[in-house]
Amino acid sequence: MNTKNWNNRKMKDGFLRSLIYLATAVTISILFIIIGFILYKGIPGINFNFLTRNWDNKTTFVNVKADASKAGDGAEGYISSLGITVKEGDKNLVITKIEKNSAVHKAVNMKNESYDLKKDDTITKIGADNTEDLSYTDALKLLKDSDGTLRLKVTRPGGGIVPMFVSTIYIILLSLAIAGPIGISAAIYLNEYAKPGRILRSIRFAIQNLAGIPSIIYGLFGMLLFVQTLKMQYSILAGSLTLSILLLPTIISTTEEALKEIPRSYREGSYGLGATKLQTIAKIILPGALPGILVAVILSIGRIVGESAALIFTAGTVAQIPEGLIGGKSSAATLTTKMYWLIKETGDLSSASSIAVVLLVLIILLNIASKMITRQFLKKTGNG
Amino acid sequence: MSDKVKFTVKDLDLFYGNFQALKKINMSIEQGKITAFIGPSGCGKSTFLKTLNRMNDLIEGVKIEGEVTLDGVDIYKDFDAIMLRSRVGMVFQQPNPFPMSIYDNVAYGPRIHGVKKKSALDEIVEKSLRQAAIWDEVKDKLKKSALAVSGGQQQRVCIARTLAIEPEVILMDEPTSALDPISTIKIEDLATELKKQYTIIIVTHNMQQAGRISDKTAFFLTGEVIEYGDTEQIFNKPVNKKTEDYITGRFG
Repeated sequence: MNTKNWNNRKMKDGFLRSLIYLATAVTISILFIIIGFILYKGIPGINFNFLTRNWDNKTTFVNVKADASKAGDGAEGYISSLGITVKEGDKNLVITKIEKNSAVHKAVNMKNESYDLKKDDTITKIGADNTEDLSYTDALKLLKDSDGTLRLKVTRPGGGIVPMFVSTIYIILLSLAIAGPIGISAAIYLNEYAKPGRILRSIRFAIQNLAGIPSIIYGLFGMLLFVQTLKMQYSILAGSLTLSILLLPTIISTTEEALKEIPRSYREGSYGLGATKLQTIAKIILPGALPGILVAVILSIGRIVGESAALIFTAGTVAQIPEGLIGGKSSAATLTTKMYWLIKETGDLSSASSIAVVLLVLIILLNIASKMITRQFLKKTGNG
Repeated sequence: MSDKVKFTVKDLDLFYGNFQALKKINMSIEQGKITAFIGPSGCGKSTFLKTLNRMNDLIEGVKIEGEVTLDGVDIYKDFDAIMLRSRVGMVFQQPNPFPMSIYDNVAYGPRIHGVKKKSALDEIVEKSLRQAAIWDEVKDKLKKSALAVSGGQQQRVCIARTLAIEPEVILMDEPTSALDPISTIKIEDLATELKKQYTIIIVTHNMQQAGRISDKTAFFLTGEVIEYGDTEQIFNKPVNKKTEDYITGRFG
């Protein structure tokens, strides 16, 4: 070995090594830039109201029983007959404080259902008078002087993500309820019952390919089948069914991997004691495969949370808490589809970023949960 | 103990695909005795053991010809494999406790056979662990994972697990090959103790072990039974030259 050759090799080695370091640095910095940018744009928009309020403003007529006999002067804007304090809003009265035994806690809407008023609700109409036609002092006087049942038009401010959050949870639960049992059963069939051969190979091949299909094709399929043909309209059921199909390949292959991990000796031990195949599966194989199945579930949740294309065409983009499984009232946007909608329809990038921050936190929490569950489980069975 | 025959095997052939693993096996296995199968690796002794509780059914491509009867009933024609295995229990080469507590391991068999009452299960678990001579060692950690005890203890838990289904026959497939000498002695003593109530068939690599504990010994070679008889006779006055060569350590 001569020195020249040696130096040459060393140089090459150093060059390649610095390339590898550079690639790693680029990857990591891109990740940090993306997350940093989203946090920078999104965090200012996140506050208590963003996390607890409805998305749209909601206007409701309510009846409250004012009690003029409850005299008393309080601070500026205090209305003793109702037990609330208001301040001047944008041509309106905004409730800033509600007493504990206030009459507005017993308010009812036009269907005679209880509708509890909250802080920040805006009174836009008192009886027959629009507050924007009155001066603040007149409106205040009108409220203060009223006695008996009083009709108010109240607007509750929106701007929060509660409906999307709830819809996301609903769709997660529904999709898992559909895809989980089917996927796990299919994995059990493929791994425990199916005879190895051409048919099994083709089924596996089909499942692998299913996993690679772009989700928008699932969305299109879901729209044609569930939304239109089966007349479910944009609804969480149509969305969840579409997602279920999309999740099946992942659930099946992850579960199958977990089933394969169960040592042959466990099965032999069980059969050797006179257990049937089903007993062996239920009592030995499935419990052993549980960590793997949990991983499949967590992966699926991540997929659902992140999915937009398959849901836009099937569950819609309406920001409401879904009522029922099918039909217009059950149409609902998840956090991700709402984000898509915001960027595309309104260009409201800061709200979109705020939702993105919530999504990021959600995903990180999910990952931590999955790690903890798996570790806990391994500890319990003594496998770890 | 009478010399009642438990298993009768007639002209048994076994094929893995095209390979013939067992050739024309004929044997009577007596009740209440320990019968040992010896022979070099790949001679078919374990395969033969597994035909006695139909564990070979679980392997793809196995074909069996001939007749095996348990108490005169053909186990391949007139028996359900599940039923058979609850009468003919098995202990494996590697201790294979399930990844659950010692209690649940032993209670597994009774539970799958329909015993639900806690008090009945408690009783079976204690009785089986006592029979397997491990009760004193594990009685304080019944709720602990069976994987947390030593290999020798695991194997005795597995024996207790088999005893819990109250079989008539216990098949042991090299039960001490993964264990240290002290654990091995314990299992051997246990086998000697258990033959009062059970018929035991043991496959072993260890000739001294066969000599120490068995009443009858069968010597297998390339899928055939070369010689079968009283252990004393096989070890001291083997009839067949090959048996003598194996016993004296000329091959194996």
